[in-house]
Amino acid sequence: MAPLQELAAAYAVAKADPAFQAELADLLANYAGRPTPLYFAKRWTDALGGAKIYLKREDLLHTGAHKINNAIGQILLAKRLGKKRIIAETGAGQHGVATATVCARFGMECIIYMGKVDMERQALNVARMRLMGAEVRAVTAGQATLKEAVNEAMRDWVGSVDHTHYILGSALGAHPFPMIVRDFHRVIGVEARRQILEKEGRLPDLLVACVGGGSNAIGLFHPFLDDANVRMVGVEAGGDGIVPERHAARFQGGKLGVLQGTKTWLLYMGTEKLYHANAGP
Amino acid sequence: MTTALSTSAILPDARGHFGRFGGMFVPETLMAPLQELAAAYAVAKADPAFQAELADLLANYAGRPTPLYFAKRWTDALGGAKIYLKREDLLHTGAHKINNAIGQILLAKRLGKKRIIAETGAGQHGVATATVCARFGMECIIYMGKVDMERQALNVARMRLMGAEVRAVTAGQATLKEAVNEAMRDWVGSVDHTHYILGSALGAHPFPMIVRDFHRVIGVEARRQILEKEGRLPDLLVACVGGGSNAIGLFHPFLDDANVRMVGVEAGGDGIVPERHAARFQGGKLGVLQGTKTWLLADADGQIELTHSISAGLDYAAVGPEHAYLQEAGRVEYTYATDTEALAAFKELAHTEGILPALESAHAMAGVIKLAPTLPRDAILIANLSGRGDKDVEQASRYLLD
Repeated sequence: MAPLQELAAAYAVAKADPAFQAELADLLANYAGRPTPLYFAKRWTDALGGAKIYLKREDLLHTGAHKINNAIGQILLAKRLGKKRIIAETGAGQHGVATATVCARFGMECIIYMGKVDMERQALNVARMRLMGAEVRAVTAGQATLKEAVNEAMRDWVGSVDHTHYILGSALGAHPFPMIVRDFHRVIGVEARRQILEKEGRLPDLLVACVGGGSNAIGLFHPFLDDANVRMVGVEAGGDGIVPERHAARFQGGKLGVLQGTKTWLLYMGTEKLYHANAGP
Repeated sequence: MTTALSTSAILPDARGHFGRFGGMFVPETLMAPLQELAAAYAVAKADPAFQAELADLLANYAGRPTPLYFAKRWTDALGGAKIYLKREDLLHTGAHKINNAIGQILLAKRLGKKRIIAETGAGQHGVATATVCARFGMECIIYMGKVDMERQALNVARMRLMGAEVRAVTAGQATLKEAVNEAMRDWVGSVDHTHYILGSALGAHPFPMIVRDFHRVIGVEARRQILEKEGRLPDLLVACVGGGSNAIGLFHPFLDDANVRMVGVEAGGDGIVPERHAARFQGGKLGVLQGTKTWLLADADGQIELTHSISAGLDYAAVGPEHAYLQEAGRVEYTYATDTEALAAFKELAHTEGILPALESAHAMAGVIKLAPTLPRDAILIANLSGRGDKDVEQASRYLLD
């Protein structure tokens, strides 16, 4: 609890500090490659025959996904907190790569916890992390995927928190992580809002994003939440269809519960055991 | 030297010569189409509508401008010049190649061509071409050496996922040179409805000029960005040179700035011994290969030698003709980095800056490691980070990880 409160307090100060915001903005622009384009997909628009489709090109960021926005923000926080060692969990490896990247950039020790099953199916991302000097620790417990990797990272943090920062990779976990991760991804929506006003002279009618933990979606949606005419749709992973253990759509029959530090909708089997979700953040 | 420089902006001449290099050494059937292409390009270049569509695609589809990133930690580690990296690695498809692919597909559209062919070595140009073909709904055939298809399987899959047909070329060494031959053979028979998107500043006129012009945006942006950041021009530019498209793109807008030194880095492979490198300025001979007169690696009888580089994109026997000209004019210096030096640079950039460079670009980074420490702390160096290393992770892992 104390480290989380310390993190929340440090974040509140950092957020209001122009020097912090300036360093963040500089890295986002010159290192990560922001702003990302808002691309009008003309051929796809014509093919579907409905709304004008714009794509927010987070795929063009350094390391290839939106995850770097949060990794940069959090490593700047870690620096302020005087932490010298970084840990993170990763599923597909994109957050692990983003974290290994910023650790190399700031010369910090980097440990990535990753399920053994995920390490095998995402061997390329494991190699990317290692090539940047990160240590990737295989987690073999349970299903040996993301959930177990989070558990292992939390276990590490409990014993190492005085010198270690945990860069959590999605808008999940205990407070203040969902807020911090959201805030560092808000730049997606802030840019998209400005860009669509430049290109179309008005706000969009609809926003669409995928939702695992939901970091990219909340980043896009959040700056539009007060615009009552902007509709928003999050898309979960339906896997093989909505049958137990074959999907990860928590809003399709999920139950309220607590997992890894936060109270939210979850997939349970019966009343106690978590589903083996086949997709995640 | 000054005389040569002041004319650089209007080279090549009308017949495609850069001094005694370049030209149009092609079968008769291709002369008319090449002249048609040159004429169409001249009109397009002057057409504001063409330039506007190009600028829009570069900005909103490809992701320009790319950042000019000050690599502070690497600068401190090397202890010399301030190192700026031009981040072409952040472009759509992961390398500078998309600049030229976008420009040329817009030309193909103007010419009324419905089918696109291209050659590829490492696969980056093939991916860029497949990408713009998908974007414009054109049929796409990529010729690729069978050996390259095996070592760049990921890029083959990327092309196929975008609907391109990848044709394996099995002749000779089954790498880039043979893929170019096969693409030229296709073009001779299909030129009435097919455009050949050549991927480097190579081949017969007008390709070296067109490819250069579409990559000039790299240097134009870098010039504006360094003036914004430092208030003055850089002291040194560094880029890797295979055919030389990324290098000429960075260098060209600075050619008339006499105080800007430029260094091109070729692939030194295992060292400068016959058949084990691709450094054409290290003992190459003047000759003609695939439509252009330039320096190339050949034996005493003029037969093209085998080449070697850890980087498939630099593994080619001829250098772009404008580089041959700039070397002879004394305007650009050319050095080389070996496979080992490129891998060491790959690792150093990964560990100090969190950036995985393409193995091609890692040769430029190896040049930075040699040159930056020789310059004072207030000197400014810009290196072209022409592509990202995701395609090379497997290969780099074999050498750099246990």
